[in-house]
Amino acid sequence: MPMEKKSTKDMKEMTKAERRAVQERQRAEKAARTVGGTTTKKGSQGSATSVVDNTSIFTHQEYSFTPSDSKHKEKQQKESKKESSKQVALFSHLEIAKGANTSLDIHPAVLVIGLQFAEFKICGANARCIATLTAFKKVIQDYKTPEGTTLSRHLPTHLSPQIKYLVNSRPMSVGMGNAIRHLKLEISTMDIDLADDDAKRLLCEKIDNFIRDRITFADRVIVDYGLQKIQDGDVILTYARSSVVQALLLEARAKGIRFKVIVVDSRPRLEGKRLLRRLVDAGISCTYAFLHAVGFALKDVSKVFLGAHAFMSNGALYSRVGTAMVAMMAKEKNIPVIVCCETYKFTERVQLDSFVMNEQGNPEEMVNVSTTSTPKAGLLDGWLHKPDLKLLNLLYDLTPSKYITTVITEVGMIPCTSVPVILREYK
Amino acid sequence: MAQPRGVCIAALKVKFEEFNGFTLYLLELAVGNIVRRVLRLIRDVYNSEVSIKSVPQKGRIYELQSYGGSNSITEMINELENMYVNIADQAMEHIHSNEFIMTVGKSRTVEMFLKAAAKKRKFSVVVAETSPTYLGHEMALSLSQAGIDTTVISDSAIFAVMSRVNKVIMGTHAVLANGGLISVSGTQMVATAAKHHSTPVVVCTGLYKLSPLYPYDEDSFNDMVAPDSVMRFDEGDLIDKVTLINPYYDYVSPELVNLFITNTGGHPPSYLYRLINENYDPEDTDI
Repeated sequence: MPMEKKSTKDMKEMTKAERRAVQERQRAEKAARTVGGTTTKKGSQGSATSVVDNTSIFTHQEYSFTPSDSKHKEKQQKESKKESSKQVALFSHLEIAKGANTSLDIHPAVLVIGLQFAEFKICGANARCIATLTAFKKVIQDYKTPEGTTLSRHLPTHLSPQIKYLVNSRPMSVGMGNAIRHLKLEISTMDIDLADDDAKRLLCEKIDNFIRDRITFADRVIVDYGLQKIQDGDVILTYARSSVVQALLLEARAKGIRFKVIVVDSRPRLEGKRLLRRLVDAGISCTYAFLHAVGFALKDVSKVFLGAHAFMSNGALYSRVGTAMVAMMAKEKNIPVIVCCETYKFTERVQLDSFVMNEQGNPEEMVNVSTTSTPKAGLLDGWLHKPDLKLLNLLYDLTPSKYITTVITEVGMIPCTSVPVILREYK
Repeated sequence: MAQPRGVCIAALKVKFEEFNGFTLYLLELAVGNIVRRVLRLIRDVYNSEVSIKSVPQKGRIYELQSYGGSNSITEMINELENMYVNIADQAMEHIHSNEFIMTVGKSRTVEMFLKAAAKKRKFSVVVAETSPTYLGHEMALSLSQAGIDTTVISDSAIFAVMSRVNKVIMGTHAVLANGGLISVSGTQMVATAAKHHSTPVVVCTGLYKLSPLYPYDEDSFNDMVAPDSVMRFDEGDLIDKVTLINPYYDYVSPELVNLFITNTGGHPPSYLYRLINENYDPEDTDI
């Protein structure tokens, strides 16, 4: 195996002490693996038999499914010393997502989405929230209240390792946090006398209602409001990819409004390309540019539509990194900046900079300079071995409220300073 | 893109009869500037000495040599050749210890400037990768090799990181008469983000990049280059249906720049008109 070859090569370079440390670690890992294996078997024996097969499939998948991640992990272990010097000091409080790590008692449905989150196969605040809630619905359906406790008491403790696992695979989005908080509230206010099956049915119904009211239907209302703001001859600029903005633009096209779209995208994720594909397929006339051209592209833009990851209580928008720059440049040129955001993404938290809460992606992504699916390593290849060189791959940034003209929510078009008002009303 | 400075030096070294061969390079603002400076030199020599003696015939400007013009041209060549060192010498006046400096694109001037400072001071540099040319990657590699603590960020993270940056130090392709910059695409974002955070923007540039031309339209000096680096041509049907834009330069208005560090010292953008009067003759603005 090429992997082993690599490690033996490294072995030669190591000192005796280091070699011993590696051996010991490997032994410990092996032991942990066997212990983990037996306990999962034990754990699954207790629950339904169909689950046994599933977990084994997925534990197997964890290794084959995330080759890049496991490789990355190994690298991290190998170069733990080096790694710490590769951490950007300003962001040392933010953890780079460790990737999904399996523990016991994780429901297969949650396992699947955890892996998909870690791999960014499911990304976007809405998609992640819906996936989480749907998975939790399955968890609740498969749940049996143990003897001597009640559902409203025990279910939250059953859910918390699932949540922890999801957070481990990728930090939770604000919307997901709100949804889960909502779910926990519903569980805790459940009638104790309710039969297990009825309670579970009721909870699933509540989850469905949440998805319907706060996400699916909210999006439809936002699209309706947004349509009022798109007129014939408009040139609309959007950044990266937001599911609501995409739905709005497609609907506007379906309504026969003649407008053009400029999709601004940024490396390393190139999420805008997927939006571009959808818009082009719908027959919308599109222009595509990287973020560097935003000043140039904004010249004949009439409106900027942006998506949101979350809205802070101080009116700041927390969204895909680069959004702040697009909003700032638009404001500089006096172009209205319209943000589409469901109210479930509003949070009571306040934030003033992009440092305290943020997420770091895999810095390795920045090395790839290809714009297609086939990766092409750029100049920074091998950066881990170059002293004094660090890469920072931030995922979000914070747009100050002064750059946002209006926020379209399912409760209407509001100034972004009204976020705390909405939060208060909904309480 | 050819190194404008190299072309300028080459232009000055050739015999004047061959000068016509360089008309091609007049598109490059810096080369035009050098031509204007030589023209200015000729005018000065003509006005001071030649007017007393005999007027040289048109087309025989190489006779200039006999009137002491040759020395001045040697001076100009020296100026260009020592430019990086002259600018880098000022580094200690601008960079203090533990600074957090942002730069964008790749500029030899900035590179030398930062490396000179790194010999005595310890500071960190954040390099915006400047896609799709990835000049930032080259810059970061070069700086890290010189032992400077370097962090590469994607262009999208410029705004997020800016709040902690002390100073933006960048190079430019050309400086226009109003103090505006023609610089690598993406610079406008950096400068605007810096303005939002009240971070000083320092531009390191040789005086030869100072052009007497005025940007009546922001895009008059811009270049659109092949969009290959934004979306590859082998991406199938999608490329036929979309318009791709990939400007090579950005215009940065003078309000966004705080200081120019040139080979003759530091100047604010509002002072540049003086330098233009000093170096060029108004008659030569259109060449």
